[in-house]
Amino acid sequence: MELNQLFMIAISVIFINNFILSRFLGLCPFIGVSKKTEPAFYMGLAVTFVMTASSVITWAVYIYLLEPFHIEYLRTLSFILVIASFVQLVEMFIQKTSPALYRAFGIYLALITTNCAVFGVAVLNSEMYLKTTGNPLKGLLFCATQGFFAGVGFTLVLLFMSGIRERLELCDVPGPMKNMPIAFIVAFLMSMAFMGFSGFRF
Amino acid sequence: MKKLLQEFSKGIFMENPTFRLALGLCPTLAVSTSVVNGLGMGVAATFVIVGSNVIISAIRNFIPGKIRIPCFIVIIATFVTIVELIMKAFLPALSNSLGIFVPLIVVNCIVLGRAEAFASRHGIVKSIFDGLGMGVGFTAALVIISAIREILGNGTIVGLMVARSFEPALLFILAPGALLVIGLLMGGINFLSEKK
Amino acid sequence: MLNNNLTVSPAPHIRSGMTTQKIMYIVICSLLPAGLAGVYIFGLSSLKVILISIIACVISEVIFLVLRNKDPKTILDGSAILTGLLLAYNLPPGVPFWIPVVGGVVSIMLGKQIFGGLGHNIFNPALVGRAFLQISWPVYMTTWKNPRWALDAVSTATPLAREGARSFTYMDLFLGNHGGCIGEVCIVLLLAGALILLFMKIISFHIPASFIGTVMLLVWIFGGNEFFQGDFLFHLLAGGLVLGAFFMATDYVTRPLTKKGKIIFGIGCGVLTVVIRLKGSYPEGVSYAILFMNAVVPLIDRHTKTKVYGAQTGKASPA
Repeated sequence: MELNQLFMIAISVIFINNFILSRFLGLCPFIGVSKKTEPAFYMGLAVTFVMTASSVITWAVYIYLLEPFHIEYLRTLSFILVIASFVQLVEMFIQKTSPALYRAFGIYLALITTNCAVFGVAVLNSEMYLKTTGNPLKGLLFCATQGFFAGVGFTLVLLFMSGIRERLELCDVPGPMKNMPIAFIVAFLMSMAFMGFSGFRF
Repeated sequence: MKKLLQEFSKGIFMENPTFRLALGLCPTLAVSTSVVNGLGMGVAATFVIVGSNVIISAIRNFIPGKIRIPCFIVIIATFVTIVELIMKAFLPALSNSLGIFVPLIVVNCIVLGRAEAFASRHGIVKSIFDGLGMGVGFTAALVIISAIREILGNGTIVGLMVARSFEPALLFILAPGALLVIGLLMGGINFLSEKK
Repeated sequence: MLNNNLTVSPAPHIRSGMTTQKIMYIVICSLLPAGLAGVYIFGLSSLKVILISIIACVISEVIFLVLRNKDPKTILDGSAILTGLLLAYNLPPGVPFWIPVVGGVVSIMLGKQIFGGLGHNIFNPALVGRAFLQISWPVYMTTWKNPRWALDAVSTATPLAREGARSFTYMDLFLGNHGGCIGEVCIVLLLAGALILLFMKIISFHIPASFIGTVMLLVWIFGGNEFFQGDFLFHLLAGGLVLGAFFMATDYVTRPLTKKGKIIFGIGCGVLTVVIRLKGSYPEGVSYAILFMNAVVPLIDRHTKTKVYGAQTGKASPA
């Protein structure tokens, strides 16, 4: 049942192995862009888009370039180059075609060129699905699903965090704990709440 | 000589990448479950920082300004690939437990940050010391965090039992523990530096 | 002596004759019968757990207040005692003495005071302590005791953990004649306490009703071998649902402000509880569900906030 497997992938990357709270990928934007809800939402959308697209592109690179020529050891180099140039292209494209969209998303795109969550999902894909699934199209499906829902999980946690941090502005947090330290404490508490999902079976 | 030592020591204390600049936190939190892992990660990252600093500093006058970032990334990725292959060949157990965080050194902001902020503007020798300082600072932070987590979460330090009657709190070697330890450490450091 | 201006809270202050202190002590009193029943059922060791937990919470609160140069008399508002009581109610009766000590310190320090004290915390402090203990020492936190009069006195499972081989009547579950956490087993006395709180208008029915309703509905649909065959009464009476829905999800500081928000919050708690109970590796999901929804409360508030009359944009805040 492929649909079942896809559902399991989605649940897993959103709740059980959330990229931020459990795998620690993409902490910089998580701490940096979580002070207000709206930027956090746009950041989440940008990350979701780039993650999904990168998953597809790196799948193609792996299947059509690295594997046929037996140069899998160039994975790190080729993935980072492809992702970085893709993000640059998207940025330029949006800048030319839709200045309004660029104003909303542009800065976030620039920020996530070398984001470890984006690169991480590509590497994870290659470890989890590219080597094991015999059928390349099935691999593509799995990779794209993992990429998209990892982005959804990222956005979800980023939104929760931004809501909490907006409220923390009004709170009497002890001086040395203000800003970054308290953000990590909140992340710790959220991570504990997410532990409730460990060991899901469907 | 004194200047070189200064370049070296600033990465450890004044500009410690983890505690002071909050850079490269993802691998710090993810691999600090035991001192051995933390040390391995620190050494690997130090190698990449020093290596890429040397090459970038050596060819800094030939890199066109506009495409310098992609050039840096290619150089860094090359060193990361070298580390990956060496680790897989000689330290397969460590390579397994560090997992995807070895290739992820390539997007570690410390490495790119040093390339952009230091190596592309300074000579080779200075860049070596800068890279070493940052690498040692990063490694030290990793060892401190992973020692705390290993003692509290597993009751051991570098694999040796701490005290027989102590019942370790599993939480510290799981994901929430990493976030708790780094949050409290950062708060503690803020507190100490405010007092001065 | 003490006035209600002691709590500086971002939420709207309760505008009635009730002071925070009074409310806290009423809630504590309404919880006491269920706790005494727990002590009667599991023996004096559970009284020890309750007392240690309360003392640990009170002492860590005083220490933190002194460290921050605040008036240590704030401790008299009763909130630390309530946190300690709720934490103990969520522990198995036979835990070693240091478990409630660690739990109390974590609840107060990391759950409450690090955010600035009462009125500032995002998560329910008692649940923070419980989750910390559950993740850190899973063995102690899942070693249950049978009631004193049962033949095998130690190491049993809660009804939820062995739903397959069921040996409880609904009456046993209702009265508390089974293994479980100290304060969650005696449903009848918990409900009596909850009724008092509802009657005195200290809590409103929105959160408990939507929380429990969602759990029962979803269990009825998905909890059985076929659709619409789940044993929803069992899921209501076993585990910590009643304690959680009436006494912990309704915590003034960590729940949403508006009626609509409370209902969304309750439904969210209910859905997560059922998902964790039926599909997760933990038998009980109430505390994780409430903690998770605590994190969502600021967003819920943001989207259910009442619009200011005559305000031009939706962004204007009524604060």
